[in-house]
Amino acid sequence: MLLFLKERKNFIIFLTLILFHLILISFQVSTDGKRIYFKEVIYSAFSPIQHGIAVFFKKIGNIWDNYFYLLEVQTKNKQMREEISLVRQENYLLKRALQRLKNTKDIQEYISNIQDYFIIARVIGVDTRNVYKSINIDKGSLDGLKKDMVVLDKKGNLSGRIVEPVTLKEAIVQLITDIDSGVGVISKKKELLGVVSGDARGNCLLKFITATQIIEEGEELITSGFDHVFPQGIKVGKVVSIKTEHSLFKKVEVKPYFRLEDLDMVVIILNDSLEFF
Amino acid sequence: MKHFVEFCLGIIIALALYTFLGKIYFSLPQLINFFTLVVIYFALTKGKIYAACMGTVSGLIQDSFSLGVFGVSGLAKTIMGYSAGIISQKTNVLPFFRNFIFIFILICVEIIISLFFYYFIASEYVKDMGFLVFFQPLSNAFFGSFIFMFLRKIKIFKS
Repeated sequence: MLLFLKERKNFIIFLTLILFHLILISFQVSTDGKRIYFKEVIYSAFSPIQHGIAVFFKKIGNIWDNYFYLLEVQTKNKQMREEISLVRQENYLLKRALQRLKNTKDIQEYISNIQDYFIIARVIGVDTRNVYKSINIDKGSLDGLKKDMVVLDKKGNLSGRIVEPVTLKEAIVQLITDIDSGVGVISKKKELLGVVSGDARGNCLLKFITATQIIEEGEELITSGFDHVFPQGIKVGKVVSIKTEHSLFKKVEVKPYFRLEDLDMVVIILNDSLEFF
Repeated sequence: MKHFVEFCLGIIIALALYTFLGKIYFSLPQLINFFTLVVIYFALTKGKIYAACMGTVSGLIQDSFSLGVFGVSGLAKTIMGYSAGIISQKTNVLPFFRNFIFIFILICVEIIISLFFYYFIASEYVKDMGFLVFFQPLSNAFFGSFIFMFLRKIKIFKS
């Protein structure tokens, strides 16, 4: 028996590995979206390495930008200074306008605290199976990130939400283009309610619009707030095609405003700041 | 000890290249899967059992960076690594064209296993794979056979 086992040692190790995977997968079939601790352990162990690698490549990029790409810096600097002065003026005018409308201490406090409502994070990796499913970011629980926090792109368009696992310095963002995501939305013009979820190809689908409801191409969708995850009024995308098939619901395709290729940085809304919206 | 260091180095290199590709262009990691190439490299140089273990570890790491079912890539890569080890023991797959076909077939097998399990668990996951994954056999076979040829040349040059 021992000789048999010794002869087939390699095959037995292989079978053990297969069995281990099958047990791991079968556990998830019944967990129904609950936490998978083994996955969290693996993610916690390897995401800091990925974080470090991303920082390394960023530093190399910085060397290029700082030393070899100086030719355009002066022109860019001049342009940016002009832009900053314009933005400052605009900011000043807006503050004045806001004060004129309601001159209270609360508004002053509100304006000064606006920066505390958000966290800016850098994207360090994309999903290994489908890039439109999720991204990894370089902020984690130490920065105050929690599950279900809302993630926006640089322009303030909805990109996704934080999902588990959240490690100390890294977190995963489920994008709205993921097939398993769901965002409660309302159309701006016709005020139709629906749910937007991903099509796994970079676009989204607006679900639960019945064949009798009227919706037009180009109509803008914003979050409705009814899902109690995404606050009301964030821009999601616009309707690009409508197909009425032989079913109860229309097939409405939505192009999200956020672009994955431009998603090098994201803004996370902290839970305490939902009143801001 | 030497094998363990090589094992860890292989994983870190795969992780680094996957992160680097994502930095160059967001969809490139879907075209070239360095985790798979590391498993095949281990099958060619270290044998079937090392490749199977590498498949398990690199597959689980790949799964942990995805929202999909945890363990499917690990399973597919373990089977693929073990099969790659057996084939490379019995057939000479080192010449460039043979290497190309070898990698192409192995990655096709890996994708078929993944698709089967995703379908087996939840039918929706089949379309969830992302269409670029289906280009992986070709792009990886091309890229992998070039890299392996380059590594072999370095080895010969050193010796």
